[in-house]
Parts: sequence; structure tokens; C-alpha cells
Amino acid sequence: MKTIQTIILDHVVYKKQILKLAKADVTKTYRGSAFGWAWAIIKPVVTIFVFWFAFSYGLRGGKPVDGYPYFLWLIAGFIPWFYMSEMITGGAACIRANSHMVTKMKFPISVIPTFTSISKLTIHIILLAIVIVIFMLFGYAPDIYYLQIPLYMLMMVLWFTIWALFAGLLSAISRDFLNLVRAFSTAIFWMSGIIYNVNNIDVHWIRVILNYNPVTIIANGYRHIFIDKTWFFEDLMGMRCYFIVLLVMIVLACWAYKKLYKEIADVM
Amino acid sequence: MGEPVIIFDHVTKRYKLYKNDRARFMSLFSKRVRYKENRASNDLSFTIEKGESVAFLGKNGAGKSTILKMITGVSYPTEGEVIVNGRVSALLELAAGFNMEFTGRENIYLKCNIMGIDEREIKNLEEDIVKFAELGDYIDQPVRTYSSGMKARLGFAINVNIDPEILIIDEALSVGDRNFRKKCTKKVKEIMRDGDVTLLFVTHSSSDAKAFCDRGIVLEKGKVKFDGNIDEAIKFYEG
Repeated sequence: MKTIQTIILDHVVYKKQILKLAKADVTKTYRGSAFGWAWAIIKPVVTIFVFWFAFSYGLRGGKPVDGYPYFLWLIAGFIPWFYMSEMITGGAACIRANSHMVTKMKFPISVIPTFTSISKLTIHIILLAIVIVIFMLFGYAPDIYYLQIPLYMLMMVLWFTIWALFAGLLSAISRDFLNLVRAFSTAIFWMSGIIYNVNNIDVHWIRVILNYNPVTIIANGYRHIFIDKTWFFEDLMGMRCYFIVLLVMIVLACWAYKKLYKEIADVM
Repeated sequence: MGEPVIIFDHVTKRYKLYKNDRARFMSLFSKRVRYKENRASNDLSFTIEKGESVAFLGKNGAGKSTILKMITGVSYPTEGEVIVNGRVSALLELAAGFNMEFTGRENIYLKCNIMGIDEREIKNLEEDIVKFAELGDYIDQPVRTYSSGMKARLGFAINVNIDPEILIIDEALSVGDRNFRKKCTKKVKEIMRDGDVTLLFVTHSSSDAKAFCDRGIVLEKGKVKFDGNIDEAIKFYEG
């Protein structure tokens, strides 16, 4: 409990710096290349195109989902994945990447995942705006279900920022952990139902496990908004699972923080 | 005498040395993982008052850097307590902490922002810093194009111009050419004149120590061997 208090207090004291650093983090990523900002868009576009192509023409599985073209169904869940995948690996590396803030100046460690997360969120919001435009071009105008976007976005950012604190701390003392996370990142993508519908899996216990997978929960949430047209309170089961995994992540992050925050500057 | 700004109260800092990184990782889950201990600071107690200028003298491995790290708040003591009152500006590694893709000017803002200085104050400081660093047109070029001397000059310029209350200099004056060193020396002396700023100086060179400091603390293996007048401290250290 006291750990949570310390972490929140750090965020209050450093709230101005968090925004400044997030801004610097975005600029840093895309500065120094001729296309600059365009890369933030090009990479996701190419990735989505490849998957859309493979599933529409190659694997012959790209049938329309719930009356929506497969392409639209795909991007609705793919867009949050870009943020999530960046946070899974980039979040785990965030304290290492900002090691000078840990070892060369007085700066609260718990704030580093937060500004990293905000920086990646900006890209996510831009991509999301593009998705909304694409839906409009296909003739699907924004409706009342879009009001849920901030909710699912908040759920996503909250879980993955706390994850970044946990994984960032462990990665800071052990490169093996970082490699482990990187190795699993692709596996998570294929197993979380980003490119297929998890509800179509026949094996019951696999579906139960996937209910507790935050990546699946968020991707489904975005599809509730864009495709299923359902409200979050119609999926209480998903909400309950989310809060359970959130709680688990908070406990893990606090454990790691308490155990490591004093040591981290000495070992990096 | 003035108010104490830095208090070390029976401070011990132990580093745990594991066989390798895997052992360190395993130690998170099990208390049985073995490690060796290195006492970088061993039951240190001293008080530094406002306006004092103190030189820390000692060989490599005497524990000087550990003390500075605890004062800057980067590192925590294993036992005992470190109390620091005031804005610390540390010249630990001058080139560290710059964002290579950003220009010198942007780095001034970034660094000041992190330290919590508000935008208006930075604007006031900006001109002084730019002038002091003597980078010419390079100030608006990315820092990755700087030479090590230029980075050090910018780092020094930022740290001495942000009105520190506690200024820590760690071998930093050895950078740059003779003219720049002279300028740095003058600037540090100017800061010290008012008696509001506390200076901590780490060096191997006794002549530099003598030029800046009134008090000397000689360290050996994490312990205070001598604490007193700078001339006597140097005599003790060299003798």
C-alpha cells in the first residue's frame, strides 16, 4: 500500500516533467531520419497490409466478419496491438533505455514507464484517428458506441504502463528477462486473437485462459466498439477478468518496485 | 556557523557482488543465493554546513563516488541516513544525460525541465548558458555532432548556471582547454563568493583542491581518515 502511495506521489510531483519527457521521447524516436514522423504510420500500414493480403488471398480465410469486411475487422483489433506490442518489448526496455536518468540524476524510477507509455499513446491516437476515417470511407459513420473509446484506451494504458514498470525493473537487473519478453512477443501476437476471432476456438479451456489475456481483452474491447456494437457492461465477464489481471499486475509491479528501487542505480 | 545542508549519520553502503547476472536475478526469488559484500562506505558520519567548500581526497576505490551518488540521491545507503537540504547540481559526468538527436539548445530545455525548473526561468537562463558554453552556431546542431570537449562545456555551462545550492564537481575541471578551465574556475569562485552555495569537490589534484576548498576530508576504504583544514588534509593525504 505504501509503495502505491510513493509511486502516485512521484507522479504528482513530476507531472509536468512527465509530459515534457513524453514529448521528447516521441521526437527522439522519429528524429534523425529523413521521413521522420511518417515512419510512425508507414510501419503499421505495411504490417496490416501484409496480414490482410495473406488472409484474404493466401489463406483464403478472410471472409467477412459480422457483415463487416475482414479488412475492417482486422484493423479494429490490430491498431491497439501496435501500442501493446510496443509496450510489451519497449516497456520492458524502458528503464534500460533511460539509464542515465537512473544513474546520473535524481529522478523517480516509477515515472519512466509512464512517460514512455504516453509517448507511445500519441502514436496510437493518430493511428486510431486514421482507422475512424477508414471506417467512414467504407460507409460506417461514428456512432454512440465510439463513446467507449476512452474507456478501453484507459484500460489498455493502465495495464501496460504497470506492466512496463514491472518488466522494466526486472529487465534493468537482468538482460535475460528482457530477452525472454522479446522472445515471447511474437508468440503473444499469434495466440491472442489479433488476427482471428478467439470466440471461434472450439476448445473450451483455451477460451477460458484467453479471457485472462489482457491483449485479447483489449483487442476484443476495440472490436466491441467498431464491429460488434456492444457496450462494455454487456461483457461483464471480460470486465471482471480485466480487473483480476490488473490487480495481479499491480501486485507484481509493487513487489518488484519495493525490492529493487534502491538497488537499481547500483547495478546498472 | 551556518545551517547544516548535508548530514551523514552513520552511513554504511554495501554493494552486493554476485557471481554473475543470473545469480543476481535468482536472488530476487531466493535468499540462499550467495554473494560477496563490498563496503564502499563504512559507518560514515559528518556534517557539511551551508557555504562550506569541501574537498574529498582519496585514492581510487576509497568511496568518493559512492558518497557523491548518495548526496545526489541516485543511490541509497544500506544503513544510516543521508539528509540533504537544497537543490543539488552535480557535475558527475558532464556529457551524460544529453539526448544525442536533440540540439544543444533543446538539451538545455530538456535538462532544466527534468530538474523541475519552470519555463520562464529557463528562458532567463538560456542566454547565460549559451554564452558560457561558447559553442557558436553549434548550439542549434544535434549533440551527436559535438566533440567530447563541446559536450563537456555544455554540461558545465548548464550545471553552473542553474543557481545550484549544492554544487558537486567530480574531476570535471579537467575538461576543455586552458582558457575554458580558467573560465570555469572563475565562475565557480564567483558562485562561491556569496556564501550561499555549498561546494563539494572530488579530485586527485591537491592544487585544485587548495584553490577552491577550505576543508578537506580524506577517505580510505570507505572510512574518514582525516577531516579538517584543507592544508592539513593535503599534508595528511600526501604524507
